Amino acid sequence: MRHFLLMTIFACFVAIVFGAIGRETTHGRLLYGLKIFSEFVGVGLLIGWILYLIP
Amino acid sequence: MGSSMAAKIEYQTSSGTHSPWLIGILALLIPGGGHLLLKRFSRAVAAGGAIWITFIVGIMLGGHLYGSSNTATGFLTYVFSFCNMGSGLLYFISRVMSVGTEERAYLVTSEYGNIFIIVAGLLNYIFALDAFDIAAGRKQ
Repeated sequence: MRHFLLMTIFACFVAIVFGAIGRETTHGRLLYGLKIFSEFVGVGLLIGWILYLIP
Repeated sequence: MGSSMAAKIEYQTSSGTHSPWLIGILALLIPGGGHLLLKRFSRAVAAGGAIWITFIVGIMLGGHLYGSSNTATGFLTYVFSFCNMGSGLLYFISRVMSVGTEERAYLVTSEYGNIFIIVAGLLNYIFALDAFDIAAGRKQ
């Protein structure tokens, strides 16, 4: 659980920075930040499950 | 040609009074400082604050700052210390105050801490370039 929490915190901070500099409008920044965050967490979970299933 | 380009960048400065180079260097030294000077307050607080917190959380998790003199991990030490230096004064003040200079491998979260600190530096490099671009008039 600690690992997932730290990964989520990490994804949150990186998404904030990327969202702030990646788009020009407030709406665009919010959407882009959410996209980055969900990609970080989603890909992290996916890789975690792949590594879990590999003996 | 170089001077004409510099003059053009100077001319397009959106803040009017500050050189893009000054803004870029300030942004490198203090995460969010360049954007504050450019009056991009929300961006400075959100992204600059995120970089500060990432760095501080990294230290609290047991991460350590790489120095170019400590070559324990070989060539990668130089890469990691370059990444760490992206945090600007946070890095240098921490090293002077001996905060986060010792490796704390006994902590479960120390590797996470290292990554947090490294990424804080890399994010600040990008953020400083963003400040430079705004000051040069290439971006809003």
